[in-house]
Amino acid sequence: MAEPYDSVSEPIPISLIAGRYLLFDVNVVTYLRRSHNICGSLIGGIPQHPQQNVFLGLPVELMPEEAMLLVKKEIGYIVDDVAWHTQRFNTFQGEDRQKYLASLRFQGLKARKIAQGDALKRADNALRKLAISKGKKSDPSDATPNTSLDDPPDHSSDALFESDRVASPAPSSTAFASSEPFAITPSTSYSPSSLPQNTSPPPDPPFVPGYALFEHLHSRGYFLMPGLRFGSNFNVYPGDPLRFHAHFLACAFEFDEEIPLLDLIGGGRLGTAVKKGFLIGGEDPEADSESGKKMRTFCIEWGGM
Amino acid sequence: MAPPAIVELPSVSALQENIETSRTTFQTSSHPIYLHNLALSITHNLQYHHDWSSLTVHTHSGLTNSPLPRPVISGLPPKRAYIHPDEQVEILKAEHKSGKSIEQVPEREWVLPTHLEEKWSLAKFAAVFNALDTVPPNGRETLAGEEAEIVGHQWQGKNRQKRLLLATLHDDSTVVYYIIHDGIVKPRQN
Repeated sequence: MAEPYDSVSEPIPISLIAGRYLLFDVNVVTYLRRSHNICGSLIGGIPQHPQQNVFLGLPVELMPEEAMLLVKKEIGYIVDDVAWHTQRFNTFQGEDRQKYLASLRFQGLKARKIAQGDALKRADNALRKLAISKGKKSDPSDATPNTSLDDPPDHSSDALFESDRVASPAPSSTAFASSEPFAITPSTSYSPSSLPQNTSPPPDPPFVPGYALFEHLHSRGYFLMPGLRFGSNFNVYPGDPLRFHAHFLACAFEFDEEIPLLDLIGGGRLGTAVKKGFLIGGEDPEADSESGKKMRTFCIEWGGM
Repeated sequence: MAPPAIVELPSVSALQENIETSRTTFQTSSHPIYLHNLALSITHNLQYHHDWSSLTVHTHSGLTNSPLPRPVISGLPPKRAYIHPDEQVEILKAEHKSGKSIEQVPEREWVLPTHLEEKWSLAKFAAVFNALDTVPPNGRETLAGEEAEIVGHQWQGKNRQKRLLLATLHDDSTVVYYIIHDGIVKPRQN
């Protein structure tokens, strides 16, 4: 259905909808996670399980820091989805429109073909299992001479069941015989090839106070996730959050911003309780960037006394 | 009947005595007296509550000789105050290999006295760290050859990441201690 993950090409369009930075393509999401340590958070409901919100699906929402980093590194660019959609929708006619509809139809056909192939394989497996179990059943009856007299009725009853079992998958497979393509619900209102290639200057993400710390940690290979669950700006993971526990609760501050000591002690206490360090950091506006001392970070742990 | 007027105050506490005896040396100092009192309160706590020894209050930076942002204490804890998680792994491996436990010798630590009512900032912490040496003066001197043989020497002495103990005093005389590292140091798995 969708193109494989390898086919993702930079820069990646990031949809800006109602102030949120969203990604709708699962290949893009996988690619950013694997190649650029950007996770985002899944916020979409799952159609088959609409009544729960523990497991969520596409789209992925990016933190403003993540969006800004992608734009700054020219990995992605921001598309104002509403403006682009209205502009595109009014002029979406003729050949373009036909092409788009054809691509949807093609995807639908492909999906149907895959589903059909799976159904055939399932039926095949079931038949093979049936044949094996039948073979096992008939073996002991052959070995014992006493039951040989009862053989003919046994076989006939087997044949009855068999015809029943074979008959049942048949109607379902006829359902696939129709050549109608599956209905596809596209996650975006345009095909990827029709996106603006930086025709107009894309809107820049707004300035985020925690960005310097985000970039600093991200450049050191850390994965950053929203830090709400520990009351910080970010949770900092040493690798993919699916494989590692977080190392730090990171809070960003201005260099001269006053921090009440109780906040530091509270953060240190909480961090130690959950086996993490409490990290504070910010940018020194007076240091020159070449010395590498521009960002200052401090890690706070309980002293144990 | 009115109670008789109190003629005698109760005798001063050990802490107050400690502060009184050091008072004369503050007069010439460039730091305000309350910071000296704070440092002495923390020193008292370290010495009598936590069994620290060889406590010294430093008023000037060992690196630049200019006055420190505030008096800072250095001292020797009864046991090691901090072991880096990687060092811990190294020690456990070595102990498992040799079958003998490795004795841990305490290192001298910096202690930064603060009061709960204060507000700090990244800039202030940076100023303190910039003025302090990695290891407090009069720390354990090890010979170059000997040092390489100690398990975990990559995390000890001059090789360690700059750190200090943030001692925070409250009005009820509670003191809490938190380790602050200069930079990103991964947490211990307590």
